[in-house]
Order: sequence, then structure tokens, then C-alpha cells
Amino acid sequence: MPPSNTNLLQGTLDVLILKVLALQPMHGLGISNRIAQVTSNTFLVKPGSLFPALHRMEEAGWLTSSWGESENNRRAKFYRLTAAGRRQLKQETDLWARIAAAMARVLEVS
Amino acid sequence: MPFWPRLNTLWRNLTGRQRVEADLADEIRSYRELLEDEKVRDGADPVTARREALIELGGAEKLKEEVRDIRRGSAFDALGTELRQSLRGLRRNPSLTVLGTTMLALGMGASIVVFSIFQSVLLKPSPFRDVNRLLTIWETRLDRGVDQATFSEANFWDVRSYNHSFTEVAAYHYAEANLTGLGPAEKVIASEVSAGFFRTLGVSPVLGRDFSYDDDRNGFRNPLLILGNKFWKTRFGSDPSILGKTLRLNDRAYVVIGVLPPGEPWIDDQLYMPFGYRPDADRDSWEFQVIGRLKPGVTQEAAQADLARIAEWLAPSFPKEDKGIGFFFTPSSTWVASDTTRRALRVLLGAVTFLLLIACLNIANLLLARGTARMREIAVRTALGASRARLIRFVMMESLLLNGLGVVAGLLIAYLGLGAIQSLEIRDIPRLADAGLNPWVLGFAAFIALLTGVLSGLAPALQAPASGIAAALRDGDRQASSRGQGRLRNILVTGEVALSFLLLVGAGLLIRSFSHLMTVDRGFHTENRLMFAVNMPGPYWEKSVGKQFLDRFFDRLNANPQVLAFGAINQRPLEGGDPGMGIDTPQSPAKPPWAGWRVVTPGYFAAVGLPLVRGRLFDENDKPVWIPKDVLPYPRRVIISDRLAKQIFPNEDPIGKQVILWKGQSGVPAQVVGVVGDSRERGLAENPTLTVYLPYGTNALTTEFVVHTSGNPLALVPTIRSLVAALDPNLPISDVRSFEQVVNRSVAPQRLNAILLSIFSVLALALATTGIYGVLSYSITRRTAEIGLRVALGATRSNILGMTIRQGLRPALIGVFLGALGAFWLSRYLVTLLFGVKPFDAVTYVAVAVLLLATAALACYIPGRRAMRTDPATALRIE
Repeated sequence: MPPSNTNLLQGTLDVLILKVLALQPMHGLGISNRIAQVTSNTFLVKPGSLFPALHRMEEAGWLTSSWGESENNRRAKFYRLTAAGRRQLKQETDLWARIAAAMARVLEVS
Repeated sequence: MPFWPRLNTLWRNLTGRQRVEADLADEIRSYRELLEDEKVRDGADPVTARREALIELGGAEKLKEEVRDIRRGSAFDALGTELRQSLRGLRRNPSLTVLGTTMLALGMGASIVVFSIFQSVLLKPSPFRDVNRLLTIWETRLDRGVDQATFSEANFWDVRSYNHSFTEVAAYHYAEANLTGLGPAEKVIASEVSAGFFRTLGVSPVLGRDFSYDDDRNGFRNPLLILGNKFWKTRFGSDPSILGKTLRLNDRAYVVIGVLPPGEPWIDDQLYMPFGYRPDADRDSWEFQVIGRLKPGVTQEAAQADLARIAEWLAPSFPKEDKGIGFFFTPSSTWVASDTTRRALRVLLGAVTFLLLIACLNIANLLLARGTARMREIAVRTALGASRARLIRFVMMESLLLNGLGVVAGLLIAYLGLGAIQSLEIRDIPRLADAGLNPWVLGFAAFIALLTGVLSGLAPALQAPASGIAAALRDGDRQASSRGQGRLRNILVTGEVALSFLLLVGAGLLIRSFSHLMTVDRGFHTENRLMFAVNMPGPYWEKSVGKQFLDRFFDRLNANPQVLAFGAINQRPLEGGDPGMGIDTPQSPAKPPWAGWRVVTPGYFAAVGLPLVRGRLFDENDKPVWIPKDVLPYPRRVIISDRLAKQIFPNEDPIGKQVILWKGQSGVPAQVVGVVGDSRERGLAENPTLTVYLPYGTNALTTEFVVHTSGNPLALVPTIRSLVAALDPNLPISDVRSFEQVVNRSVAPQRLNAILLSIFSVLALALATTGIYGVLSYSITRRTAEIGLRVALGATRSNILGMTIRQGLRPALIGVFLGALGAFWLSRYLVTLLFGVKPFDAVTYVAVAVLLLATAALACYIPGRRAMRTDPATALRIE
């Protein structure tokens, strides 16, 4: 059973957001929805975590934002990856791959 | 993390606060609305959907607060972390920090002092309006060898009336007066100015009114006064009710009508009274400083031609006084500082720049050394994701921090140093007193801190590894990376040594020059001589009041056992004015030599120690050469200086011979009764002067006294004061100094230059030596293994020592060579500041080279000894 309130590490949330935005620009609600969907509800991102993360990554220069119209014609703030953000995503992806591989090896040995 | 976007957001956060807040509120609201929509789509009713959305949101205000925290945090966060890291790095390395800060503090302190003086003296704008239209006008008598003289009163009025090129011409006559009624009698400077003087300068009173052109209708000297601003501040506490008050000067009552604004120091602390036109104005006595303001559009050449036209009319109209008259201008910039002073200041500025450069090079060296030691740390940082830009920023920040500390300490040093210099009271640079740590100077300090921070951080910053991380992590490659870096450090050392050579040569030349100046034969003797002035007001110059005072005063001095000799003169040597005359034999057809004339009492020569070369000194029977109209003419007697005697009487004994005084002007015959030794009366740097000495008397009074004392001359001052007061309580004595003090004041600029440049060069030497030591010491440590190998293969200890010293001396030698070249090329700029020393003085160059190489060798010796003691076994094991 998936935990409903998983404590997400800050770095992990960053990767999730970056990955989601790699496909297309989205607004805040869309991002948290997509994360929930793609991870089969393992990670449920609350606004309390989402907003600080989005703004922090925007300050860092990994995202840019602009106001636009949502699917049902509401005004919403859309976030998009920058070139630096893409680079960051690639770095983090590689890092995660290495960690995952290492963990897998460790856990297999018993 | 990219730097500029972060700076952008920081700026945005700081300035568009309201817009950003509104934007955030909008975003949160939009999120809620979208969430509501979603719930409604999933089947909830609007009210429930709204409530659930609000719950999920968790409170908009809390959200905003969290975002704000993030925002504030991230903006400063990275900068703050880096700052903290740099500080920690500096604290962990106290020797680097202390050494670096000290070097920078000294270098910056020196720069700040020099810049402060430079700014106050040369850069600060003049308080006068449109200064480049303001000129000083001088009379000339080129046919008599006079190329710059003050005006006579009548000539001034004529030039003023008949010129077409000046909007206003005004005159200034320096005068002193005794101020009584405000406490004890005091001598003040109470100059006479023409009514348009302040208008010509372009200043108008801040209180009261200026002199009007009508003021001279009430006679030649109207009893009105305008006060200088500093005078008003110090003596009347800036009291505005001073207007209309009466002051007693020389026993006459004057009414204060105005106060000037603050201005240049030499106009600030005195009083001004008007003098008006009178038809019988003197044309013979050159006493007035004349200034003029050019009309708009009139060039100096046009004005020159205009005045030449007036000269052509004056000369035949007044053949006795104005024969050969001409006019000539000097710009008002010379009021602030003479050309020599400007040159000296520029030299000092150059010197201090070199010093600062050396400090920078040293800091760079230090940071490079540390950078190499931290190679591994840097490599790990890079592996963990620090970008190259971030590493560069990190190293720069260290350098900037060091420089920040250095500049703060430097400001303290500058404050103390400036105070010390100002206490010297150098007369040649009146604006020196105004130099201080004003906003301009502080801005300069910040600027050089930034500049040196960037410069000294540049070398180690560029050395942060770009690609060789793996190499850096491997021990074995320490050699390879350090060799290129070693060369860089050697280049830095060479630069330091070269710059030090320049500074040392400069200092050496100035020191030798100054010592020549002080040991040159002065002609007079200056030890144990007291000098003071007694300002005698008008009544003293009538009948024989003044002479009686002098004679009574001399009697009392004679009775004092501490007085060995005494005399008086009308112009104090070195500090007083220099009235002159043409003097020659009656029959000589040549242009008469120009000599300074002085009125002296018979005891003066003994008092200053001028030897009698021929003939006799004055006695009581010698009377003044100005014979009053109601007295029977008597033979005039004069004494001349040795050089003058040789010039006028080249092959004969001058005693008893006739000369014409003021030859070419009034022409007065006199007989030479004595020849005295020469003296450098116009300044130690000048040639011995041509001087004519005239006897004193009832109409030729002497106000500057010289007393040769048996002990400390200044100890006699209270006695002198009471002696004078007993004769006349309203007569103050002023300008009390020992002759030695007078001499020292006259050479204060040269002394200051020599001292400052010496300090700079000693600092430079210390820095360069530290640099050499540091580089060599580090290199030895790196080469421990190699040295161990050499020893194991048979090298003796002295071989190692020799190798080390040779290695260390090589950059020093190159530096000395380059420095010598540079000094040779730059020394031409020093020529005007030198006395008795040529700029390419072999002794100085050799001495400096020896000094530099010796200290370099010493700096190499210590690490050399360490290398010498390397034990091959342990050395080879260290890796």
C-alpha cells in the first residue's frame, strides 16, 4: 500500500518537477497531478512543498514562469525548463542512476 | 549555480516587492481555483469543492510565508554561504590572513595618505569663480634682469584704468597690525586690498557687504574691515553680531562690515581693509600683488599685447621709475601649489602605486601557494559539482575579503599618517591642512580595495583547474602542475624586485639629495639662535620712537648673561621677503647685477655668525641710506656680500670704493666699508645670494630679531616677552622660532618627500623579501623528494645550499636588472626634486642593487638551510 504522506527529500522533489516539466510546460496543479499520476500515487506533492520548491528552482535559474491560460480558460502561472534546468536534470538523472544501481547491488548481496 | 540570473532575481526581489507579492497571491488563488474546478468535474458541488480546496491548500498566508522564506533565503543564501566559507578559510590560516592583511594595510595606508594629499591640494576645485580666467599680473624690468616683480601702487591704478582685456583688476598688499582690545595684544595679518578685490576673485561675503567703490571717497584708508571666515570662526565663534563691531588695529578703530565665505587657507585667517585711489600714489615701491580677471573671449596673448601697449606708454611718461617696464602673467593655479610641489606629488603618487602593486603581487603569491596546497580540496569540490565560475568566485572572494580587511586597517594607518604629516605644517602647501578622510578619499580607498582584490585574486583564480581534476587527485602529478605555477610565482617575484628597485633608487636619490641640502654650507650659523619678530605700528616709524625702542631693547639684551650676541634685520632670512636693487660701480656700463638689500643693526652679523671678510662692520656712526629732506647729507655706507664684491670689483679691493645703489632706478651713491661672507639666504637649495646690507636708523627700522643664546634658544622666550612688554605692553612678539626650526621649515617639503619615499621603499623591500622567501620556501618543500635523491646520490650539503640560493636569486637578479633599466628610464622625472645629485647616480644604483641582492640572499638562506638538512631517507619516503 502506498504511503499517503511520504516525506520527500528536497532533492528528490526537484528531480520529479524537472522531469515532469521536461515534456511540456505546466502550471502548479498540473505538476503535482502529473507527479502523482506517473509515480502511481507514491509521491503526493502538497502545495506546501510544491510552491517553495517551484520558487526556489526559479530563483536558481532552472525554471522560468509566465502567465497563461489553463485547459478550462483560467489564468494560471506556467513553469518551463531553462537550458540550465535541462543540464541540472541530466546531472541528477545520472546521479540517481548511479545511486540506484549501487543500492541494487548492495541489496542483492545477502 | 549561474551567477547573473541569481543577481537578477535578487534585484527583482528587492525592488519589485509589491509586484512580486501580488503575483504570488495571484498564483495561489489560481491554484485554488483550478483545484476547485477539478473537484467539481469529479462530481462535488461548488461549495464542498471550495471547502476542500481550501483545506488542501493549507492556508494561503502560510504558503506565502514559506515562499517568502525560500525567496529571501535563496537570494542571499549562496552568497552568504560562500562568504562564510571564505571567512572560515581565512580563519583557519591565520598566518596568511595576518600577513596578507598587514601587507595590504601598509600599502593601502600609504596610498590613501598620498591620494588624500593629492586630492586636497591638486584635485579640489578652487573656491573662486572661473579660476582659469584669473591671473596674477607681475611687473618686469627685463633690462635689469627682473623677470617677476610686484606692482607699485601708481602702476596698478594705471593698468587698472587703461586696460581693455580685464573685467576687473585688483591689488592686494600684505600688512600686519597689532590687534588690541580683545585680550592680550596680538599680531594679525591685516592686508590692504582694492575695493574690487573680492569681486575679481569671484567671492562675495556671507555676512554683511563687500567693499564698494565709493568706500575710497573717504580718503585713502577707510577704517572698514572684512573678516576672513576662519578668523571669524576662531576668534568670534561665528557670531553674526560681529557686523558693526569695532576692532582696534594699530590703535585705530575699524568697523567690521562683512565676513567672507570659507576659502583657501591663505585668505581665511586674516583681516582685510580697503585702500583707495590717491593721485600721489607711490610709483617707486613694488609692494602690491595684482590679480586680474580676463574678459570673456579675451585670450592671454591678447591681454599680454594689451598690457605691452600700456607699458610702452608708461616707460617714457615715468622714465625714472618705469624705464624698461613690461608685464607678465602667471595662472592662478600657482596659488595652490608651485610646479615643484605638483611634480613631487605626482612622483609620490607613482611611488605609492608601485608599492600597492608589490603588495598585490605578494598577496597573489600567497594565495597561489595556498591554492596549490588546496589542489585536492578544489578537485573534490569540482567533482561534487562546483562549476568553474563558482570556484573562481570563491577564490576571488577570499582575495576581496583580505583586501577588505586590509583597507580598513589601511584607513587607520592613513589617519595616523596624515595627522603626522599635517603636524609638520609645510608652508609651501597651504591646502595640506585640509587633507583628510573625506568621502572622495573613502571612495578611493574602496576603489583600490576592489581593484587590488581582483588583481591579487586573478592569478590563483585562473589557476583553478578546468579539466585536470583526475590529475590533481593523483599525487604523482603534483610536480607537473606545480612547475608551471612555479614559473608564474617566479615572474611575480621578479616583478616585485624590479618595482622595489625603482622605489629604493628613488628613495636613495632623495635621501642623498636631502642630506646634501642639509650639509651644504649655509654661510650663517644656525645653532642656538632665537628668532622673533616685533611688529611696530605706525607711531614707531615717526621721529625716533622706533630707534629709541630698539636701542633700549638692545641695552637690556646686552645685560642678559645668556645672550651672547644679538642683532636685527628687516627681512627674516629664509622666510622673509626679498626686496632687491640693482647695484654696481658708477662707471660700469654693463647691466647692474640684481642684489637683495637688507637693513641690519651692527650686531646682526655676529648674531648670525657671518664672518667679516674685509674692512669693518657697521658701528653707531653709520646711518640709513635714506637721508630725510631736513637733514644735512652725509656719506652713505654699505656692506656687501663676498660674491657681490667679486662680481662688481673683480680685481680690486672693494673697501672704500663707490657704488651706486638702485642703479637704474633712483641711483644713490654709497661707499663700501666692509665685505661679509656669503650666505644661502633665499633657501638652502639656492646659490649663495648677492646681498647689500644697509645701516639701521630712525627711518630704517628692523623688526626681525636674532639672538645668539648660550643655551637652548627657546628657553629665553619668556624673558624676551617680558623685556618687550616692559618697554611697551601693546607690542606683541610673534613668529618665535629657533633658527634651526626656520631652516627645517624651509626644507620641510624636501624632507617630507625623502621620508615618505623611504618609508615606501622600506615597505617594498620587506614585501619583496617576504615574497622571495615564500616562493623559495614553498619550492623547497615541493622538491623534498628530489633533494633527498640528490643527497643520496652524493651531493654535499653545501652543494644543496648553493643550488637553493642560486635558484632563489635568479628571479631576484633578473628583477634587479629590469629595475635598473626602469629606474634609468624613469629617473628623468626626479630631476627637479634633486639637489646636488644626478638622477643616474652610480653610487645609489650600486648600493640599492647590493641591498636588494643581499636581502634576497638572506631570504634564500633560511629555506636553503632547511634544504641542506634534508635527510635523504625521510625525504624519499615522503610522497
